[in-house]
Amino acid sequence: MRQKSILTEARQIERAVTLIHLGARLQVLESETDLSYERLLRLYKEVSGRSPSKGQLPFSTDWFMTWQPNIHASLFLNIHEYLNKVAELDEIDTVIKAYQLYLEQIGAQGLEPLLSVTRAWRLVKFVDNGMLTMTPCRKCGGHFVTHPHEIARNYVCGLCEPPARAGKGRMAGALQLRQGQDEAVGRAMATLS
Amino acid sequence: MTSEQILAEIREANLSYLMLAQTLIRIDRDQALFRLGIGEETASLIGTLTPAQMMKIAGGNTLLCRFRVDDDLVWNLLTSHGKGAANDGVARLHASILMAGRHQEAA
Repeated sequence: MRQKSILTEARQIERAVTLIHLGARLQVLESETDLSYERLLRLYKEVSGRSPSKGQLPFSTDWFMTWQPNIHASLFLNIHEYLNKVAELDEIDTVIKAYQLYLEQIGAQGLEPLLSVTRAWRLVKFVDNGMLTMTPCRKCGGHFVTHPHEIARNYVCGLCEPPARAGKGRMAGALQLRQGQDEAVGRAMATLS
Repeated sequence: MTSEQILAEIREANLSYLMLAQTLIRIDRDQALFRLGIGEETASLIGTLTPAQMMKIAGGNTLLCRFRVDDDLVWNLLTSHGKGAANDGVARLHASILMAGRHQEAA
């Protein structure tokens, strides 16, 4: 039997606590730590004061393709890639730190974080196994979450060319988009050429 | 502003910048790399500077930090404030995504 290091376990508990504080689902903790289900359950109740949500994790890649989620997911993934390049971290720590920076950035702009930490974790997994990728926008050059078969030459992101119904929702903390956005980007583009 | 004042202001800004950078690096080194846009080696260096070293480095007639926005596209997105207040959030988010995508500067 493998010798269990107390130090390693302490690190894992600390990690799990951070994830619970960020609102992670139990499945994330199970997959990212070696702690037993029972201990995780107890930890979850102790930290959050309630039982974890039950049921399946969202498993579809489609959510990431809708307008607003795509913007949030792209911001997170860009931060994640940045940390991946410059810092040497365990995979889950990169997700945690990138997610914290994402929350900060979104909060600073007065928006609601649409991307949950569970979804963020899921997104990284989708990218790892090639179900999703990042494609540079032909217009602004920014990298956005897309399906892997996106033709890079033709790809334009949802911020350069928002879809017709984008930004019409009245949800609090949602992105609002009115006439003029196209012009703003247009102006920005015009100065480039 | 006299040149003496200019030097004093620059020293002040440099010192504030170095101190903030050092604090950020000590709080969370990895996140600091993202916040500051610097590489691992630079971070190690700044992280171990003594106050006396900082004072010495801060003096001079040039600033130690530089703008991280180096193209018109991001500048225009960032400065669209007021023009279309409703779309401010979208433009800023767009700028954030573009800036977060630039890790060449740090690597």
